[in-house]
Amino acid sequence: MIPIIEIAKRALDGKPMLEKEYDLRVFSPRVQELVKEYGISYDPDILVPSDDGLADSIFKAAIDLICDVGVYCKDTERVIAFEEKEVMNELKTSFDHAVFGEGMEQRTLLPRTPESKQKPWIFAGAGGVTVSDESIFMRLVENYARRIPIANAITTPCLLSVDGATIRARSPLEIEGSIRTVVLGREALRRAGRPGLPIMNAIGTSESAIALASGLHPDFGLRKTDGYMVAELAELKTDLDLLNRVALLQSLNVPIAGIYGPIYGGFAGGAEGTAVTSAAFHIQGILTYGASWTLCFPIHVKYTSSSSPELIWVASAYAQAVTRNTSVPALYYNYTAAGPCTEMVLHEFAAEFIAGVSSGASIETGGVAKGKYFDYLTPIEPMFAAEVAYASAGLKRSDANEIAKKIVSKFKDKIPDPPKGKRFQDCCDPLTGEPSKECFDIYHKVKKEVTDLGIDFLY
Amino acid sequence: MFTYVGCSFLDVHSVFILITFGSEIKMSKDIEAIRQAVIEGDAESVASLTKKALDAGIDPLDILEKGISEGAQTVGKQFENMEIFLTELMLSGEAMMAGLEVVLPQLKSEDVPHKGKVVVGTVRGDVHEIGKNIFKSLLVANGFEVSDLGVDVPTSKFVEEAEKINADIIAVSALMTSTLGGQKDVIDFLEQTGDREKYIVMVGGGPSNQEWADEIGADGFAETAPDGVRVATQLIEKRRA
Ligand code: B12
Repeated sequence: MIPIIEIAKRALDGKPMLEKEYDLRVFSPRVQELVKEYGISYDPDILVPSDDGLADSIFKAAIDLICDVGVYCKDTERVIAFEEKEVMNELKTSFDHAVFGEGMEQRTLLPRTPESKQKPWIFAGAGGVTVSDESIFMRLVENYARRIPIANAITTPCLLSVDGATIRARSPLEIEGSIRTVVLGREALRRAGRPGLPIMNAIGTSESAIALASGLHPDFGLRKTDGYMVAELAELKTDLDLLNRVALLQSLNVPIAGIYGPIYGGFAGGAEGTAVTSAAFHIQGILTYGASWTLCFPIHVKYTSSSSPELIWVASAYAQAVTRNTSVPALYYNYTAAGPCTEMVLHEFAAEFIAGVSSGASIETGGVAKGKYFDYLTPIEPMFAAEVAYASAGLKRSDANEIAKKIVSKFKDKIPDPPKGKRFQDCCDPLTGEPSKECFDIYHKVKKEVTDLGIDFLY
Repeated sequence: MFTYVGCSFLDVHSVFILITFGSEIKMSKDIEAIRQAVIEGDAESVASLTKKALDAGIDPLDILEKGISEGAQTVGKQFENMEIFLTELMLSGEAMMAGLEVVLPQLKSEDVPHKGKVVVGTVRGDVHEIGKNIFKSLLVANGFEVSDLGVDVPTSKFVEEAEKINADIIAVSALMTSTLGGQKDVIDFLEQTGDREKYIVMVGGGPSNQEWADEIGADGFAETAPDGVRVATQLIEKRRA
């Protein structure tokens, strides 16, 4: 692992460069050159490619990219550079597992590979989407833990407000909200009878390093066996606030994830460039943050969701590239266009996770309705998503491709104008969090459709 | 230049037509080259072609409208249709600026189509920038003059910059529920200093919506960047009327 002090030195002393220069004249053209050099091409008829050569080319292009352009530090306006030999050595010695959870819930997150029969790691829940009230927060987390027995870890919601005051980033409200997120999350898991279950998006509500640091105090209940995410900035960037979190988390000896949302249609260009950039981001996490797991959430610049065919291809291609060539487990997170309690949202989850899991990724259940609206959450969506992901282990990529294509054809045309769905308040019992009959009917209907297409659910 | 006109059987009138026709071909070729260079995002070529066209006596207003602006608008549409991506959009924006620098001094100020000046930025505490960048690039492509303050922008900076460039619009982006309040801050600040009426305030990005815009008293909101450009255009026209 490259020590964080060394990364900080490079961030402080590296080659100075204007950010715009890096985006437009360094990063962006180099990605396109590498796509050409390695002959990487996206075939719109394929969602899950079965070509190992393509996966390895994407990976090699990603290595070249990171060695050629480095990682940009926004605060210091300098480039953190890496030598190819150093990168290859780091990849040979990087983490190959991480232990999460306590007691009966302790499990080891392991790397997977394409078509592997090994079950994906199931990181299920709200995907960090915001809720307006603490009781909704509690009901949701309790229900995730109860209704998703195959969950290895929970992703909590974020809080919108404390005591009626909307949380403002970098204010005491954010500190208080972050602490409450931890306390409430732990308590909800205890109430659900799974106190050992890890929270892998610790601390959802924290947006600044200081709020993260505040919530970490052991009095509030976070553990070393929870998961700690540190964002990588689009594209191939970081900043000092993020490196500060790494400095703290590494000293605490906890499992750090590099999390990143490359943008299709942004500086990475189209599907091919976005796949190469996603793979490069995985490597960036290992190099700059000493990541023991990574989380990728590519999104479409126009739709801000990830279920369009180009992006499913990106998810599959990047996952194959990094899981075939590195030991660090890769998780995939999606943004659905549609909202809760709709057929479309379940179709989107199915298509994305069948593609991702058969390509070697594990999963975090993603942001519903683009993760944009507060309270657009029910327990049904992550429950279904987890079941589909679990059942997709061992699928041949060619079969996954056929199944995913059939599912995508059901919703593809609705992506530009998707149904927003229902809020928790509109379709779940406020006291128990029990979803309505309508939600369950939709769930059973789509589950049957997906079963008929060849997915063999555990239960 | 123009085609051969020395034939004895041509009367003076035809010669005149031929000359005009010839120079129109020439003019449209030069302007087309500028338009193309804007589309290709080649700032150097746009600047040199614009100089060349001016030297050749082509009307600067034609260069501006039919060359530079049309090129930029084509690029804006191509981006909306996802035929090109953000890098190309931003490079074209730069190319357009390079052309404007050459052509604007040659125009009488009343001839310069003044779409409006806009200050854009993402609020304090928020580092999400992609949406803001797209909105900015589309504004530029549609002929607005834009000052981009970047991300994590303190409230007073929006107002200071608007004052400095004599802006028509302050456009505030926020991507998180916890930073949305930064949009209200800009309006509160303007009200406090008595400057609220001076500027049109637009809000957008992730969680903002029309309801929120109404609640905080913003003048405009748009769900997407292309809609944002339409709203900005309408709001300015309304104000000028
Ligand atoms: C990419 C991304 C990131 C990247 C940002 C990279 C970058 N350089 O910009 C990174 C990884 C850095 C990031 C970080 C974080 N993110 Co983030 N991120 C996203 C994501 C996936 C996409 C945002 C985006 O770029 N969309 C694409 C653009 C094109 O869309 P857009 O911004 O909405 O813009 C369009 C329109 O809205 C409009 N528009 C935009 N601005 C304006 C302004 C005006 C005036 C007008 C008219 C129009 C307009 O034009 C655009 C084009 O049409 C969203 C989820 C999502 N699906 O949107 C989460 C999301 C916004 N992030 C979220 C969070 C929580 C975070 C973090 C706090 C995570 C963490 N714990 O560290 C940090 C925040 C750091 C900070 N202090 O800001 C949450 C916010 C939840 C909330 N509280 O509301 C979201 C919703 C995801 C989620 N639910 O988990 N993120």
